[in-house]
Amino acid sequence: MSAQFIGMQLFNGLILGSVYVLLSLGLSIIFGMLGIINFAHGAFYMLGAYAAYNITSYIYPNFWIAFIFGPIFMGAFGAACEVFFFRRLYKLPPLYVMLFTFGLMMAFQDIIRMIFGSMGVPFNTPESLMGAVNLGFMYYPKYRLFLIIVTALCSLGVWLFLSKTRLGALIRAGTDNSRMVDALGINISRITTLVFGLGIGLAGLAGVLVAPIQNVTHLMGMDFLIDCFVVVVIGGMGSIAGSIIGGLIVGEIIAMGIMVWPPIANTLIYLFMAAFLLVRPRGLFGREAFHD
Amino acid sequence: MIDSAMSRRNIITLSSAVLLSVLFPYLTPYTALASEILVFALFAMAYDLVLGYAGMLSFGHAAFFGIGAYTTGIMLVRVYPCVMPALLAGVIVSSLAALFVGYLSIRRSGIYFTMVTLAFAQMFYFTAFKWTGLTGGDDGLQGVPRPPVGPLDLTSEITLYYFILFFVFLSIMIGLRVVNSPFGKTLQALRENKDRTMSIGYDVDKFRLIVFIISGFFSGLAGGLYALLLNFVPLSSLYWTTSGEVVVMTIVGGMGTLFGPVLGALGIILLRDIISNFTESWNFIMGLIFMGCVLGFRGGIMSIIKDKLKLYV
Repeated sequence: MSAQFIGMQLFNGLILGSVYVLLSLGLSIIFGMLGIINFAHGAFYMLGAYAAYNITSYIYPNFWIAFIFGPIFMGAFGAACEVFFFRRLYKLPPLYVMLFTFGLMMAFQDIIRMIFGSMGVPFNTPESLMGAVNLGFMYYPKYRLFLIIVTALCSLGVWLFLSKTRLGALIRAGTDNSRMVDALGINISRITTLVFGLGIGLAGLAGVLVAPIQNVTHLMGMDFLIDCFVVVVIGGMGSIAGSIIGGLIVGEIIAMGIMVWPPIANTLIYLFMAAFLLVRPRGLFGREAFHD
Repeated sequence: MIDSAMSRRNIITLSSAVLLSVLFPYLTPYTALASEILVFALFAMAYDLVLGYAGMLSFGHAAFFGIGAYTTGIMLVRVYPCVMPALLAGVIVSSLAALFVGYLSIRRSGIYFTMVTLAFAQMFYFTAFKWTGLTGGDDGLQGVPRPPVGPLDLTSEITLYYFILFFVFLSIMIGLRVVNSPFGKTLQALRENKDRTMSIGYDVDKFRLIVFIISGFFSGLAGGLYALLLNFVPLSSLYWTTSGEVVVMTIVGGMGTLFGPVLGALGIILLRDIISNFTESWNFIMGLIFMGCVLGFRGGIMSIIKDKLKLYV
């Protein structure tokens, strides 16, 4: 095994990890606000990829248009879902809200299958990002580097937004005690919609970003989402740092697993999660008994 | 007075249920459909022990169903073609899997429990998917035989139906015994208020683990019977869609009622059989059922029966 191959795999792990990070961030902030896991999150990610496909095939054949408007569209769509569906469910026990998102996920997947077929749709790498970059010790595809950089900037942006702005402070306060924030005269339901839109927007962005390097099919979301559950169990739900570090760890474990013995790559992360549950059940950065 | 009226009503309900289940294969379009309903009724009942009585939303029960099916199938195909030892091996292995998953996942409650169970089920799914030498991988485990059990020729669909019915009856009897025992009552107390149950001295985690294993045991039995019924084990029996189906059966039927999930399985499988004649979009319909149940049908079929017909089962 050459050093170059190992370096390549480390970078591939970073790619996979980046997508996990984007999805887990959204999963995690929605969880923090509402105390539910959004089973439809993977479906929104899948819809993001299909949004990119539709924009580039039918509206304007330019990846950058899809890159900018795809996530915005998904964010708006997510916010609309919150207003029309989820808002009616908050008074119910969390169990029912999760079941609802599960149903939503199944419906979305099948609608996409009905419209676009089960074979998936083609999606090309944008021309401006084709080719490879010389990193000194190896060549690496330009598009994949772009994906890593976008994820890093987004994670930084989300962190800055939540920790440095007034709105971010309101969101964090709402996460801790939404009724108290409401009592202080802040419109908490508007903030909830915003958080939901932001989370779904990040899922949509992840979908747009993976469209050129992964098969775009109606089933791409759910299996990936289950991996994200591993990420948030390891990283700690509701923590930004947890999502980022957990996502990168899980991505690297899979990449390393593929290098050692491919069939076991996927199983490794679940075993890692099992070990984590034994040693540190609340995860790396998780709070004790948070929404438990 | 009221007691005797209630118990008379109970006897009537119970005996009509027995009669109906004996005649059932003659009422469905084909016998295998009746058997499939029975298998999923058993699976849903096993699941209800965890969701309805202990209040734990597991999204990984396909693991125990699938492991039961695969173990029974592998025993019959590769080890020794004899039904009873194969079923026994199925329930033992699936109970062990439930011990493993349960031991780790009850460390987290609420939504973490849900995520962790789903993740572990995915681990078993990937293992079966990749270990093609043992499981047949994507194609499923083909050619599971149905060797005779004593004088019973299981290749006859109707005999197999009654064979499955025997196990389902036995399981329901044991299940009723479990939920009406002090153990079952403690579970319900734990579901209603974990902290209070803990403070009167119950080891909550132990109770949760035990019910999880019992549920895994019966799910594995259902899986083993499913392998016999289909003559093969589909990979999808381990997939999360199977977990989703058993959840929806339990909710549609009415959780925490044991008989409700049986009715839920009946309704869902019949509906799937009818709908599959018209469209491939079963998952879409399933999604709508999920959402519809949450929006307006949270008590399930059993709550209608209880409210409208004043039956106490």
